[in-house]
Amino acid sequence: MKTPLRERLKPYLLLLPAFVGIALFTVYPVIRLIYLSFFKVNQLNTSKTTFVGWKNYISLLGNSAFMTSLKNTGVYSLWTIVFTLAIALCLAVWLSQKQDHLSKFTQGAAFMPHVISSVSIGLVFSQMMNPTYGLFNNILAVFGVRGFQWLQSSQTAMGSVVFVSVWKSIGYYSLIIIGALQSISPSIYEAAALDNAGTWATMKKITIPMISPQLFFTLIVMTIGSFKVFDTIRILTDGGPNNATSSIVYYIYKQVFWEYNIGRATTAGVFLLIIVGVLTGVYFALLSKRVHYQ
Amino acid sequence: MASITFQKVTKKFGDNIVIENLDLEIKDGSFTVLVGPSGCGKTTLLRMIAGIGPQTSGSVLIDGKDVTQIAPGKRGVAMVFQNYAIYPTMSVRDNIEFGLKNNKIPKEKRDMLVREAVEKVGMTEYLDRQPGTLSGGQRQRIALARAIVKNPSVFLMDEPLSNLDAKLRVQMRVELIELHNKLKTTFVYVTHDQVEAMSMADTIVLMNKGKIMQEAKPTAMYRDPDNLFTARFIGSPAMNMKKLNENGEILGFRPEKAKIGRTPFENEFSAKGTIIAKETLGSEVQYSVRDKDSDIFIVKTEDEEYEMGNEVYTGCDYKNIYIFDSKEQRVRDKDPRYPEYMEKVRALKL
Repeated sequence: MKTPLRERLKPYLLLLPAFVGIALFTVYPVIRLIYLSFFKVNQLNTSKTTFVGWKNYISLLGNSAFMTSLKNTGVYSLWTIVFTLAIALCLAVWLSQKQDHLSKFTQGAAFMPHVISSVSIGLVFSQMMNPTYGLFNNILAVFGVRGFQWLQSSQTAMGSVVFVSVWKSIGYYSLIIIGALQSISPSIYEAAALDNAGTWATMKKITIPMISPQLFFTLIVMTIGSFKVFDTIRILTDGGPNNATSSIVYYIYKQVFWEYNIGRATTAGVFLLIIVGVLTGVYFALLSKRVHYQ
Repeated sequence: MASITFQKVTKKFGDNIVIENLDLEIKDGSFTVLVGPSGCGKTTLLRMIAGIGPQTSGSVLIDGKDVTQIAPGKRGVAMVFQNYAIYPTMSVRDNIEFGLKNNKIPKEKRDMLVREAVEKVGMTEYLDRQPGTLSGGQRQRIALARAIVKNPSVFLMDEPLSNLDAKLRVQMRVELIELHNKLKTTFVYVTHDQVEAMSMADTIVLMNKGKIMQEAKPTAMYRDPDNLFTARFIGSPAMNMKKLNENGEILGFRPEKAKIGRTPFENEFSAKGTIIAKETLGSEVQYSVRDKDSDIFIVKTEDEEYEMGNEVYTGCDYKNIYIFDSKEQRVRDKDPRYPEYMEKVRALKL
């Protein structure tokens, strides 16, 4: 018997609102972004917007400010991900081993930065990192280190931004890892102890593989997140000094609101899209075989 | 091959004392089953031997050597866990090999040992499978192979069969007995199931509330219990009990030794009652008979002629009656109090 048309259409009808939402707020903007990247956009008089072909792409690749932003974003992402993952993993292993008051307090304290707005964090840190009256240099002075420039020198600015970002995100990611660690049955570790496995062998052969799905998720989410970094940089350094901390998104922001160059901004957006897409693809190709889903 | 000795061991979890001043000797090469209701401390003892839940005080000796300060992996013991504790991210081979690798055993020897171990449990063709694709019984065998491969002097097993279905459990019981015969090492096996204990052990250690109630061979456990707890725990169905008086003195008799009839039994224990349940077990029938004090006696017999609701008499030879004093201790026939207790039994009008 054939199902009546109404019955067959029902599931599509129920999915329609979600489809409309995605089409309107995700698919359309992406298409529009790609479309605009081929134009020289005149916002005041749209009739003067002209098609320029690959010109935006060619000029962007030759633009030193963009290339610096690209490089900065890569450096920022690499160090933020490495430090955050390493510290979050250590913290999570330590915190999940004992359930005393200290570890509960640490867990709560480490999560706090995630709840605070990054603008507030940025403001507080830019004060603490002030070379003349900031808290950090006052502490360093005790150890005889003076005049550390933090955000004000192009040598140390990126490191300082990474420091703030890592501080901000370890709590959240260690919480994810703690959750994963606590789902491992204690008898697995007891079996490992009876198998004469040392701390390192247990970590490498049991703990890491057991939490690999969460680590993989964390890696991808962090990569996407850090390639889109903007707010921390906007508050801490405004991309400076001398473009030392300008990121791709910060570059886009500057193109749109300072230079009014929509064509170039959208082109940079397309680059960002491609980079994040390629990286995610690379992760899946390289790592997905080593992730153990149960 | 190794003997295990507990000397005045105490285990506390916080303020909760689970085991206090316990002494126990497990003989070299024996198949010892620690049995008791949950929370009696049997698993706690096992974990002390393994070193994964050390005693609070006292010492544990393996082959006469105090192992308190020795790491679990260096005690020469292997353990099979209740949930198997198979490493889910490793293949079957890696699971079995892990301990050998940690002990730095060369590759060729490892391969040989792994092959021998999987052959013993009949899992050769599964070496390259992932544990997730195996059934409960197969995982059980992998856990066994992982223990066998280390050639331990002591085998520890924590309720290893409790997650298997009934048929497989019976089969694995036989295989474990065979394995013990083949390996001739000390097996220490924990279970709450007295049937498992009776069928596999050469020595049973019955525990309750952190104390050893009785330590004996299975037959002695069944025929000659030291106390009321042992009498109640060992045997299925459990021993029939009847209060002798208000002082808490009790008589008991096994359902297997009980009789059923339409007329009172002469010169034996006899009690009138009504059949409240009839269970057909195939070769035998099991009647539950309730007497006027609402005590229930179970009778196992080949006689099928009685039906629910029948008025019957439950009987038992006086020589098959067990007597327990008000402190729940057995009064044996050599006990000077025995004749006096038997007089009370004979005087019962039921």
